[in-house]
Amino acid sequence: MLDITISRGTTVALPKAEFDLLLADLRENGYQTVGPRQQDESIVYSDVQSLADLPRGVQTEQQPGHFRLVQGASNNYFDFIPAADSWKKFLFPPRVELFTVRKGQGWEYVETETDTPRYALIGVRGCELAAIEIQDKIFIRPDFYDPTYRLRREGLFIIAVNCLHPAGTCFCTSMGSGPKVEGSYDLCLTELDDIFLVEIGSELGRSLLSKRKYDLPSAFVQNIANQKLARAVQEMSRSLDTSDLPGLLTEPETLEAARWDDVAKRCLSCGNCTQVCPTCFCWDATDSVNLTATQASRTRVWDSCFNPAYSYVFGGNTRPTIRARYRQWLTHKFGAWKEQFGMLGCTGCGRCLTWCPAKIDHLAEIAALRAEVNP
Amino acid sequence: MTSLLPQSAPPTAGHPGRLIQPDWAEIVRITPETEGISTFWLRFIDPQVRERYHFQPGQFNMLYLPGYGESAISMSSDPEDEERLVGHTIRFVGTVTKNIGRLKVGDVLGVRGPFGTSWPMKQIEGRDLVLACGGIGLPPLRPAIYHIIRNREKYGKVTLLYGARTPKDLMYPDEHEEWKRHDIQMEISVDRGDENWDGRVGVVPMWFYNFRIDPRNTAVLTCGPEIMIRFVIYEGLARRIPAERIFVSLERNMKCGQGSCGHCQIGPYFICKDGPVFPFSVLQRYVNVEEY
Amino acid sequence: MANPEVITELKKIPWFGTLSPEHLEKLAEITTLRPVKAGETLFKEGDKQDYVYIVLEGRVALEIFVPHRGKVRIYTCEQHDVFGWSSVTPLVRQRTAGATAVLNGKVACMDAEKLRQVCDQDRDLGYLVMRRLANVVASRLMVTRLQLIDMFANPEEKNA
Repeated sequence: MLDITISRGTTVALPKAEFDLLLADLRENGYQTVGPRQQDESIVYSDVQSLADLPRGVQTEQQPGHFRLVQGASNNYFDFIPAADSWKKFLFPPRVELFTVRKGQGWEYVETETDTPRYALIGVRGCELAAIEIQDKIFIRPDFYDPTYRLRREGLFIIAVNCLHPAGTCFCTSMGSGPKVEGSYDLCLTELDDIFLVEIGSELGRSLLSKRKYDLPSAFVQNIANQKLARAVQEMSRSLDTSDLPGLLTEPETLEAARWDDVAKRCLSCGNCTQVCPTCFCWDATDSVNLTATQASRTRVWDSCFNPAYSYVFGGNTRPTIRARYRQWLTHKFGAWKEQFGMLGCTGCGRCLTWCPAKIDHLAEIAALRAEVNP
Repeated sequence: MTSLLPQSAPPTAGHPGRLIQPDWAEIVRITPETEGISTFWLRFIDPQVRERYHFQPGQFNMLYLPGYGESAISMSSDPEDEERLVGHTIRFVGTVTKNIGRLKVGDVLGVRGPFGTSWPMKQIEGRDLVLACGGIGLPPLRPAIYHIIRNREKYGKVTLLYGARTPKDLMYPDEHEEWKRHDIQMEISVDRGDENWDGRVGVVPMWFYNFRIDPRNTAVLTCGPEIMIRFVIYEGLARRIPAERIFVSLERNMKCGQGSCGHCQIGPYFICKDGPVFPFSVLQRYVNVEEY
Repeated sequence: MANPEVITELKKIPWFGTLSPEHLEKLAEITTLRPVKAGETLFKEGDKQDYVYIVLEGRVALEIFVPHRGKVRIYTCEQHDVFGWSSVTPLVRQRTAGATAVLNGKVACMDAEKLRQVCDQDRDLGYLVMRRLANVVASRLMVTRLQLIDMFANPEEKNA
């Protein structure tokens, strides 16, 4: 083994057999290692202790309203494309207690000890990393930050992975987020048969790897990886024309298009698209109280613009129809979001297509709106 | 477009390091206004919060009643109140406000705020003002009225157009004479009168017909039911008052007050952060999109 | 020859200021001035229509009697407002609301029958008068629509 100096930008070759050492190093540094696991015919993100915990040789078939795990040709660990679960739950938990108060003289806060978990995310895709970076803009702003998100985010270790086998609902090339990972990670993997190529993206990543010795990959191996990445781009079957976004979806003419009536007949307003979306950020606070009404808590939960109560003001719902709610979701995600946060709210992960029980292809909806407004 | 909007200052009540965690305030006084509406006068229990808390006319607080939740309420009192009390005129309609309605003097509420943009009192100095409001739309304008009275020489002709459903629904009747004394022309109307009502019967937007307005030098501040606001805007624009000088205060489902929870969006704006007060020019493209 | 006092009063109303002296004279000839006292009834619902009125000073309320509710005041006419305009429309034969002075003041009364004749004979003037009345009707309609919506109603009451 060569004695090499590694730095940011260096790519080393990590034999798969040594991957568990990397996980062990992370745990030794106080990280909880979380990654993909096969469970109940789907893929979920949860604790992983070893590479063996990952789904092996599994690929996914994905189409609007369709998801199936299938056995692939290889024995690789990252050939699948993620399922409904996303990393969002680790940074922006679906349920988190905000505070509890107890009745005394007036009301006083019950102090609770909360340890912020430090997560090492194993296998973050390009679209998923882009999604985390979008949520960073939402939850950590100069004028406001969400303490739960910020503390968890600041403690994060990210091991990204380049996608080599896009699924049928992927369109990250259109959104500029993949299949090759862009953005800030600590380490980024490209999976080959026996090794991972590991690119070092941060000082934190470098210092983790510096504990052990690694080979530099040969030019031949690098070349194979590049070819696989290039093929992944070609395999991307779906695309979204973003050239007229967000403008198209913010024009009053588009907001009144007949197409909304059409999609409203198909949309169930179930909110699946928002719950699987790695960038959707809406939340609500719910209240609970003990039996004697002497102690009360507030809990933050995920909300969805498809919930009828979401836009309720006294006297009624501002968006009482599915037409209005679907329009709000689509025109926010691919329209108004840009003005709010500087980018569109979509990274092309395709979850909202795959997990729509009504098989709505949102890209086709945008195309139909475009055709109607600009005949 | 966002740059057109004034930035609101960070809230001074509520714990910055904890999400939506309020400070406590004691109810010092409760003033019944009309049927189902009272003004709650609050004083922060923590003297430091009391000292640093200051709001601008048109801003709102999130009031928290443990076990029930929070409600967004505009301040209706004088921002320069000598006792440093903060007044909230509350209509008892939802779960939270109905239960606030059961509280007594001495009870405690959680408060976060102040949130949102304010009436542009500085920007409209030197102009004639038309304050057009209806129903529960008067309380958010009352701090602006106090400000105008305190700085009366800085504004031209000031007209308050105020509409209510019936004469008994008119709010703050004890103060109307005082406002007139400070040269605020009061034009009050009700939707339905009876034989004992010798004031006007009609609706707020129609009064634009009756006044000579200098559109080059008039600013409109309007607050009330969305339908009334729309017609005030139509009449104001018909009188050639530019959209940039018609300021509206909007209501939506507000939960966090900081443009984070998503509920109060209209187009690219979070009403709780970019509003509630907007120049109509930035809302123009959305105002006639139904259910938007 | 019209009463000079009537011409002076009418000229204070911006719309009359836009008329030619000849047209103004024609309208002034069929107009009389009438002081009104607070509480005074100008006409009652069901009365035969005889005049179109313009408020010169004061305030006049339009009222409809509703059993069990008494007189409901549906609109008040302020200075320069026109009321009783339906008397120049072709088909209405009787007052559909009563008019009561709320404040002391003065009204101009235009003979409705003669106004119709003047408008028929001088179609140019007739056009200007009808145009003005259309505006009055439009504003009255806007007010009625907003009242109909009952925008200050408590939504809970409506749902109950």
